Amino acid sequence: MTLTDPQAALLTSCDKEPIHIPGSVQPHGSLLIIRASDHRITHASQNFSWRNDQQAADLIGKSLSDVLGVESADWLEKRLAASKIDVRPSYLGTLASTNARYEVLAHLSGASILLEFESLSEGADEHVSFFYPIVTKFVGLLAEAKSVEEMSFLAVQEIKSLTNFGRVLLYRFDQNQNGEVIAEITDDGYPTYIHQRFPAADIPQQARALYVANRVRLIADANYVPVRIFPEYDSITNRPVDLTYAVLRSVSPVHIEYMQNMGTLASMSISIVIRGQLWGLISCHNFAPQRVRFETRAICEQLGQILAVHFEAAEERAEFNHRLELRSTLVRLLASFSKSDNFAANLETVTGELLEFADAHGAALVLDDEISVFGVTPSISQIKDLTEWLSTNNQGDVFESDSLSKKFAGASAYADVGSGVMVLSISQLHNHYLIWFRPEIVKTINWAGNPNLKASAEDPARISPRRSFDVWSETVKGVSKPWRQSEIDTAVEFRNALLGIVLRRAEEMAELADNLGRVNKELESFSYSVSHDLRSPLRHIVGFADMLTDMEQERLSEKGIRFLKNIKSSAQFAGKLVDDLLSFSQMGRSSLHISNVDLNALVTASVERLGHEISDRHITWNIDPLPALEGDPRFLGLAIHNLLSNAVKYTRSRDAAVIDISGYEKDGNVVFEVKDNGVGFDSAYVHKLFGVFQRLHRMEDFEGTGIGLANVKRIIERHSGSVSAHGETGLGATFSFSLPKIHPQPPC
Amino acid sequence: MLKPILLVEDNPNDLELTLHALERSKLANDVIVIRDGGEALEYLNSTGQYEGRSPGNPAVILLDLKLPKVDGLEVLKFVRESSTFKSTPVVMLTSSKEEQDLIRSYELGVNAYVVKPVDFQEFIKAISDLGIFWAVLNEPPPGSVKAILKS
Repeated sequence: MTLTDPQAALLTSCDKEPIHIPGSVQPHGSLLIIRASDHRITHASQNFSWRNDQQAADLIGKSLSDVLGVESADWLEKRLAASKIDVRPSYLGTLASTNARYEVLAHLSGASILLEFESLSEGADEHVSFFYPIVTKFVGLLAEAKSVEEMSFLAVQEIKSLTNFGRVLLYRFDQNQNGEVIAEITDDGYPTYIHQRFPAADIPQQARALYVANRVRLIADANYVPVRIFPEYDSITNRPVDLTYAVLRSVSPVHIEYMQNMGTLASMSISIVIRGQLWGLISCHNFAPQRVRFETRAICEQLGQILAVHFEAAEERAEFNHRLELRSTLVRLLASFSKSDNFAANLETVTGELLEFADAHGAALVLDDEISVFGVTPSISQIKDLTEWLSTNNQGDVFESDSLSKKFAGASAYADVGSGVMVLSISQLHNHYLIWFRPEIVKTINWAGNPNLKASAEDPARISPRRSFDVWSETVKGVSKPWRQSEIDTAVEFRNALLGIVLRRAEEMAELADNLGRVNKELESFSYSVSHDLRSPLRHIVGFADMLTDMEQERLSEKGIRFLKNIKSSAQFAGKLVDDLLSFSQMGRSSLHISNVDLNALVTASVERLGHEISDRHITWNIDPLPALEGDPRFLGLAIHNLLSNAVKYTRSRDAAVIDISGYEKDGNVVFEVKDNGVGFDSAYVHKLFGVFQRLHRMEDFEGTGIGLANVKRIIERHSGSVSAHGETGLGATFSFSLPKIHPQPPC
Repeated sequence: MLKPILLVEDNPNDLELTLHALERSKLANDVIVIRDGGEALEYLNSTGQYEGRSPGNPAVILLDLKLPKVDGLEVLKFVRESSTFKSTPVVMLTSSKEEQDLIRSYELGVNAYVVKPVDFQEFIKAISDLGIFWAVLNEPPPGSVKAILKS
């Protein structure tokens, strides 16, 4: 950066220039250097002249009273003794010579004390007396300001009214040390630099170090003629005098040229230093030469320090609030995971939070080949490519970039939606990722002059500052908003929480499996007991009723015999119920033995079995060729037999019963259908048809326990298929099932 | 003398029905009734209350599956592992069609497995058939006394 600094454009060349030992001072003041031990003069600037007849060379080796006269020397000695002289200039007060008044500053440099005499204009006040109210008022205003920009504006306003410079602006340096003007106030006729950027190369590294050490810097007149210091080399150290902290330090010729190029002759800068780093600069310019007396500069420095404290607090507050917001979003996100076991479905319910969390426009959940997207994202196949690249090129838990296409060329195709990504790897074993996408922000950066044109056009070897400060616009593409450290940190927290949830869920699943196993065991032993213990008493009732009928028939009344018969048939029916219920429960428990199934053979066998039972009836069977499929032949045979015997049973009232059996393949499924012209059923109750012990007909009309269709349903569902029924009362019924032709492997 | 039929049955109703069925089948064999698995082992080993019982193997053992103390499968296991009784026919009588019981019984070497039907007439028929087959018709293994059909 530029405007006030002693050095200008060329970083590499300028970085080598020894700007702290220029060997000269600016002419608005003069310099005496005395030995700290005996206060004898060792150097003087060529313009030092307390009395008209003095030459710098004559002063060397003299005492202060020799040069200043006894009275002034006494005053100075007293002030030096009273002040704590260190490496930063201390203001000793004003001192008058025969022809002028001076503000006197002193500071220590090695074994020397540098005395600087800044001349005061005629009629200037003895002291700047409004220091306290200015600072108080400024602090009050800062406390009300809400943003760094607002505070910056207050600061430039204040500095301008204190110093009367024609333009006062405030830069903030970004992480690459480029400066951006965030506040400015100008008089008419001054070019404005607001929101422009100055490349980092404008301020060489050693100048940055000087800015941190020396917080206020004035160049009163760029057209000045530097005043040499005599002698040039220290007689003891044989080196030029170190002027690092001297307020009058002469400026690099490169910087003078830079300022002349800018068209301003006076400049002043006030450093804003936060945590030891140069955070920004307040820079003041004036077309005409401009003096600012020391006390005013001291106030400016003070204001700069106050500003730095407020900036630091504001930034920390903003960071704190930002992290707080992230946390509360994180909590809402995590809360969603209690909703169900499906990770992707849970995220679906909190898409807003998910995107807000990372200030992203899109997100994707990648669980190997299964990809769910939320918001605006690249296509599924593009995300797939990205995760492949990630799995081979990135081993960390979190990967983030605000210019993905620079690292992964494939990303340039979707720079508009995914220039920025943050990726959480959420599994050690699998390619499981949570990815956020940030869109491209096509940025136009206004540089104050083309930052790439640094060297002089006529003579590239010569160090030369920039010539042009015209706005030079640069368009930046393929870059998203940068990821903040707070966002990355919270994402890591999110990842840890997710892994915790996954682990806990795995434990819960294991526990659930344990419970299920136990319950299943209990159920098995329950139905085992039922099969033994419930059947026995029913058998006994039947047995004793039979024996009674046998032995006592003659002695029983007709009614008595009928009652005995009812007792027997009820017990028999109850026994059948128990048997059916047990077989139904077995149907759910026994494992399937999958092989190739010939439906034709199963149908033929069932029809044959039924034929034995109903030899007295006339039934027309229309049986189409049936497709082959995979399944458990024993269970499927049972299901088919149930359907066929139902068809036979419910066509009993028909003189000419017709049963059609057909099958076909559709979408990888095999559909099997049994149609009859029997009594049908009321379609309003179709949903009850496949339930256990559900009957749609009166017991006297059609016998049965009502478990046959429930068995069919259970068998088909265990084959990952489905059952359906259609019918109308009196108009026959159609029962069908559909199941995968290839039996799916059960999930492990 | 005909070897006895050993009936191990704890349920009094089943016992009465089974005895009735055996009676109806008109077998001449004595029926020794034992009420639990532990007692069955005592009988077979001639210990406890059966110490000093008349020696000899039963013609057939009709064994209920569920028995107090020692269940039918354990008695069956003992019979099959004993050098004295390993050839004695055992018929398992049970209330249930549970597959696991059936499989286990055949694994242990049962000769027949009868699920007591709910219908009593069927039961009578089944018991008669079994009794006749094992107690009278079956050729006993060598070393056992040949059964003599009562005229």
